[in-house]
Parts: sequence; C-alpha cells; structure tokens
Amino acid sequence: MSDTARLRSLLADAGYRFVELPIVYPARVFVELAGEELRRQLYLTSAEGGEELALRPDFTIPVSLHHLATGAAKRKANYAYVGPVFRVRPGESGEFIQAGVESLGRVDRVAADADMLKLALSVAKLYGLKRPQVRIGDSALFAALLDTLDLSAPWRQRLARAFGDTKRLKAFLTNGHAKSGPQRSELEDADVAAVKAAVAERFATTGLGEAGGRSVDEIAERFVAKAALAHGIPKRTAATLGAFLKVAGTPAKSLAALRALADREKLKLGAALDTFAKRIDAFAAHGIDVDGLAFAADFGRRLDYYTGFVFEVPGRGKGGPAIGGGRYDSMTAHIGDATAAVPAVGFSVWLDRIGKEARR
Amino acid sequence: MSAPLILAVPSKGRLQADATALFARAGLPLAPGAKRSYRSRIEALPGVEVALLSAPEIAREIGAGNVHAGITGRDQVEESVGDGRATLTLPLGFGRCDVVVAVPEPWLDVETMEDLDDVAASFRPRHGRRLTVATKYINITRRFFAGHGIADYRIVESLGATEGAPASGAADLIVDITSTGATLHANGLKTLSDGLILSSEAHLVASKAARWGREQRKAYAAIVGKLKAVVG
Repeated sequence: MSDTARLRSLLADAGYRFVELPIVYPARVFVELAGEELRRQLYLTSAEGGEELALRPDFTIPVSLHHLATGAAKRKANYAYVGPVFRVRPGESGEFIQAGVESLGRVDRVAADADMLKLALSVAKLYGLKRPQVRIGDSALFAALLDTLDLSAPWRQRLARAFGDTKRLKAFLTNGHAKSGPQRSELEDADVAAVKAAVAERFATTGLGEAGGRSVDEIAERFVAKAALAHGIPKRTAATLGAFLKVAGTPAKSLAALRALADREKLKLGAALDTFAKRIDAFAAHGIDVDGLAFAADFGRRLDYYTGFVFEVPGRGKGGPAIGGGRYDSMTAHIGDATAAVPAVGFSVWLDRIGKEARR
Repeated sequence: MSAPLILAVPSKGRLQADATALFARAGLPLAPGAKRSYRSRIEALPGVEVALLSAPEIAREIGAGNVHAGITGRDQVEESVGDGRATLTLPLGFGRCDVVVAVPEPWLDVETMEDLDDVAASFRPRHGRRLTVATKYINITRRFFAGHGIADYRIVESLGATEGAPASGAADLIVDITSTGATLHANGLKTLSDGLILSSEAHLVASKAARWGREQRKAYAAIVGKLKAVVG
C-alpha cells in the first residue's frame, strides 16, 4: 500500500473528517442502487442465514449510508476515507485502495462543486500530475434539454437513461422510429378501458397473480403510451439533440455554443445554463485554470443518481481515470428515506492509477 | 502406462439415455457400471476413463480442466466455461433446446427487449424494488441483458422449476430453456420476439484447460472419428 500520510493531511486540512467504515455489506444495498451490472463486479459471500453479502465496491454508498444512520439526513457533513475496495476487474487486481471525500448537505451547490474540483486538483498535484487534462460535464444540462424538447414521455425516459452512452444515444437519434415493436392488431386504437379488460382477462386465464408485480393499470397504460414510441423522435428534436451532444471545448466556448443553440431552437435552458455559468465563475474565483478544463456535453454518468456537475482526472496509463467525481443529489433518496434528497458531491482517487506521491 | 483420457458423460435424464445410445451406435458401448458408480469404461478404448456427472458439473469440470472432454449442452458451456477454455468439437443432434427470455403472457405491452428495458427502468420508482429475473443461467442472462443495455434488474438464482417463479411471486420474469414452448405456455408465459438468447444442443466438448498428452490426443481423435461417423 502506498504511503498516504500527506494525502490524509491534505484532506483533513480541507475540513474533511476521516471515517472508518465496514467492508462487508448486504449485497442488496449495492445491487438495488446500481443494478445487476454492478453485481457482476461484486465479491459476494453469504451470511449464516443465507443473506447475500458483498465486499464494498466503492465508498460513496457506504459513506451515504453512514451519514443517514448517524443523524439528521439534511445536516452538513464532510467525510474523507482511505481504504480497500473490491471489484472483479479482468486483468487487474480485484482489491485496490481508494481515497476520497464526500460532502453532504451543502445547499450552496455551485460553491461546493468548485471546492470539490479545487481539492481534487490539489490531490492530482500531490501525486505529480502537473497539468492534467481534466474533463468536466453537467448532467443537469442534458436533463433540462430533454424537459424542454418536443418529445413523448417514453422517448424522454429512454434518452435520459442512455445519457453517458453516446453510441446508444446516437443510435436512438438515427433509427429511433424503426425498432418499436408492433402493436397487437386486435387492440390497435383500443382505449385504455378495453386494454385493461384484455389484460385482466389474461391474468384470469393464465392464473398469474398481479400481486407485487405489474398491475393491470400499469400494463394497459403503457400499452396505450407505446403508440408514442412508434411515432419516434421528431426530426427537429433529433437534430437539436445531435447538435447539443457535439458541443465540446473550453467551458467559455461551450457555454457560448450552448447559448446560441438555445436561442436558435428557442429552448428553455436558462436556469441550467446560468448554473453552469456561475460554476465556471466560481472555478475562476477559486484560482482554477478554467481554460485548461475540457467540457463535453455528452460526458456524464447515469442520470438516476448523478444529477449535475461531473469531472474526471485521467490516470497515467491507459486505464480508467485517476480521480472521478461528481454531484449525486438523489443518492440518499434512493438508499434511504425517499423524501430526504440531500445535496451531495464528492470524488474518489484510484490510488493504483494515480502513482506515487510527488517528492517534496 | 500413460494417464487415461477422462471423458465426462451425463449421469441422468434424457441426456444420459441419448448419450449412451449414441456411444452404442458408434460402436463404443459404455461398460454397464455398478449401480451408483460414478465411473465407467469404454471396452473398445482402454485408454479412456468415463466420469458420470450432471450436465452442469461436466461444463464446470471442463472449464476447470479436471476432465479432458465431455458431453454437455452448449448452454452449459456458455454459462459455466470461461472464454477460450473449451472447444465445441462436435454437435450431437440431441438435447436441443432454446434459452429464451419469457415474461407473463398478460404483459401485452411487452413484446421486445426494448420494451423490457422501458419496464425495467420504470419498475423501481413505481414498485420500490427492482424488476427480478429468475434463472439458472446467470452469466448468459447478464451478457444478453447488458448487450441490450438493460441494467435495472436483479437476478434471482433459481435451482429448479424456473418457469413457476412468476406464478409463485418469486420473480417477475424468467430466462430458461424451452424446446416446444409448451411448459412456458402452461405457466402463463410468452417469449419475447427478440428474446432468443441461444439455440443449444448437446456437444462433444474438449477442455483447453486440461493437460493433454499424446495418448490422450489419440484417444480423443478416435472418439471424434467414431461419433462423427454416426452423427448427422
């Protein structure tokens, strides 16, 4: 294990309190949040009673659980951690050390984002990454764009889900019409009531219960809504989305390009763009070299819990990033009380990718 | 004397009957072993030792290199043997089945994997839990669902009678084998139009993880030659 003494004091001096957290958790806390895709990366074992357990694959979920378990959800708290995490990684060690910070409960989001990036850059410097090519993105811009565009609800959901996977998004934009399944002919143009009756009849004849699973109403409503999928994405909307996803470059140039796009297409992106602009100003006020940051409109992670600013500091090798961070305001609502969405932002350092601490 | 070639043959069910009949037709009858014995021989090939195992065990032993070759379904190989650890030498024409994605028949709105993706994504906000898939084929399911960009689901491992999981409430849908579709239908399930994951049949499978010497290669070539002559 690399020596982390200076990293520890850097994070502690910035006001983050180190926490020691369990290594073993019920597997469901990770699988429920991140889905089956994460489960294949988990090291699993079982408890005496048969409950499935997992070694922690990251710190963000454990820190959030710790926060919710130790006091009022909305209180302000700054956490730091260093320790092993465990993921099945083909060709790489499955046990590696991560360090990082998580800041929960700060409602001055723009300033918190800037503090977070500044601290991450200090960490990069500590490890000798002098002028890293930092990538930044903002999931809130894409979410706001989907809200304002001419799109049916099912398409809006499909596109939102695909954010971060640009290949998939582009496939939707080019052949979004073709792939929607055919409707059953006998129910074509049927109203919701008729479809409900048909679904209920099939529940009866098959002897399947709807208890706990999908209900008659849910099935019938989606059946009728599917007509909207068949109509596809309007051409103009697809063109606008395509233009948006291509925006990349320095934050200032990107902001100008996005404002021009919004003006031309009369998009109500004002609030999201203002937040983006304020964040850039906050970076500058924090002494961050703003023109050294590489913004990309299509850079992001899954929208379901990442909700805004995201960033990455590349590692030395070809592998993944050395530092990855972002805002995840809906995490606490997902893992705990649904009413307690706590503002949250943080980053993780992959100590196996960032190299050794620079010499003094 | 050099070490024998270890050949794993199914120990129960239709696969056992079909495999035993195939060896007999090929002029390589298996010696009738004592009851509950897990070993047998082929009289005509003294350099071969036969291990009687279940089809999933055979795939695992091939992957681990504990046997040189075996007869098992392609579905078992795809599920339990890592990349590049086995070769499907010869399809044998029996044990045919399809591994499919099947959902409750009343789900009139779900006909394709894309529909399933939509349903999976909206399931948790609506029901407070993830959509669940019952299956014995955990790896096959993960690969196929990932290929369709579906992440919002959870697998419930099934140890038997998977087709009953939706009726019992153990899972919302299943990934399982079917040959005629009759069992699925009887359980109120239907396959998705693009939900065929793979068409399987029994194969003679060689392990690349096992230690192969000259004698074993020779014995294997003899088995392949005899089986080829009567298959297809």
